[in-house]
Amino acid sequence: MSRLPAPRLLLSAMLVCGLAACSGGDSAPTKEPPPIIKERQANFKAIGGAFKAVRGELESDAPDFALIAAKANDINARAQQIPNHFPALTSTEDDYDTEALPAIWKKPEEFKAAAAKLADESAKLATLAGGGDKEAVGAQAMAMGGACKGCHDQFRFDDEKK
Amino acid sequence: MSDTQPPLAARYRATPPDVSVWDPLLRLTHWSFPLLIPALWWTAENHKYALHKRLGLVLLGLLVFRLLWGFFGPETARFAQFVKGPKAVLAYLRGDRSAGPAVGHSPLGGWSTLVLLLAMLAQVSLGLFAGDPFDGATGPLNGLVGARLADTITELHETLFWAIAGLIGLHLAAICFYAAKGDDLLSPMVGGAIPPAEGVTGIGPTPWVRGVLACGLAAGLALWVAYGAPPIS
Repeated sequence: MSRLPAPRLLLSAMLVCGLAACSGGDSAPTKEPPPIIKERQANFKAIGGAFKAVRGELESDAPDFALIAAKANDINARAQQIPNHFPALTSTEDDYDTEALPAIWKKPEEFKAAAAKLADESAKLATLAGGGDKEAVGAQAMAMGGACKGCHDQFRFDDEKK
Repeated sequence: MSDTQPPLAARYRATPPDVSVWDPLLRLTHWSFPLLIPALWWTAENHKYALHKRLGLVLLGLLVFRLLWGFFGPETARFAQFVKGPKAVLAYLRGDRSAGPAVGHSPLGGWSTLVLLLAMLAQVSLGLFAGDPFDGATGPLNGLVGARLADTITELHETLFWAIAGLIGLHLAAICFYAAKGDDLLSPMVGGAIPPAEGVTGIGPTPWVRGVLACGLAAGLALWVAYGAPPIS
């Protein structure tokens, strides 16, 4: 419980900060990702954003079904892009900042099917949204969410399941 | 008899004991912040959400402990001692050192402490609800809010970090400012004590029983939240 001289303390604090800064630099993104990785990440981010907008709409008493249909169509177009976004050597094993598991390349047919499922479910959602039945649209939105989740469970790195 | 007294008194005057100002639990809590906050930032930046969530819950527990300690801890830990009205703050800013307590936070430092603690508590609380269940990690209480609100909360959680970083910058700048004036605030927060001064009495012994109870309560609350706050969610 004795006092410590401030200069020595300041010095050690500076050392600790300096070390922390160095280690921060070391662990920064491994390799500069090729454009395709950025492209697919932007595609998934847009899908996630569109799905969030759909769920947000369904939370209101009078959802905007035209907006839901538009978002579903956007997701549908983007889902069809997914199989073109995964060239070889762009998995988590290739030292990029990516969550694409090697399983994508080990089970290419299953991965394609998973992407196709999202395309199917989003097409169904777009069609149903035209009908304006909130309950049916909500159920289909959750079915589409199941397609997201099903694919993530198999092919996306999950920090919490490691 | 009479000729032994002067040397003893002189020796006592020569080496009076240091004055204890910050208790060990307060200091431990304080120093956990500069370890946890950079770690929380780093884990978020690098998508290590499993660790981010765990560290966030540890921070929640520490903050809850600090709030409890603000009511049941030693004098310098108590909000009632260091959170002062605008009059005292203005008087202190004009240079009136008697506006605040002799030991512990100054009227200005008290507010800085309170704001930092509340900002961290707000940040951790937002994190509990953040995320998207269909896209990666979610806070343990994410299920209690809808997609729209969760989205807004997630954005706030990202923005508030920079406000906290600014507050930390201010905190460090203030410490440097006082250090330049010859007022060393760092050493007492490490060692817990200040050099003896005329008429300055420190805090009493740490109330360990209350400390253990507050730790237990805080840890219990953090664990309960970690499990999704049953039966609420």
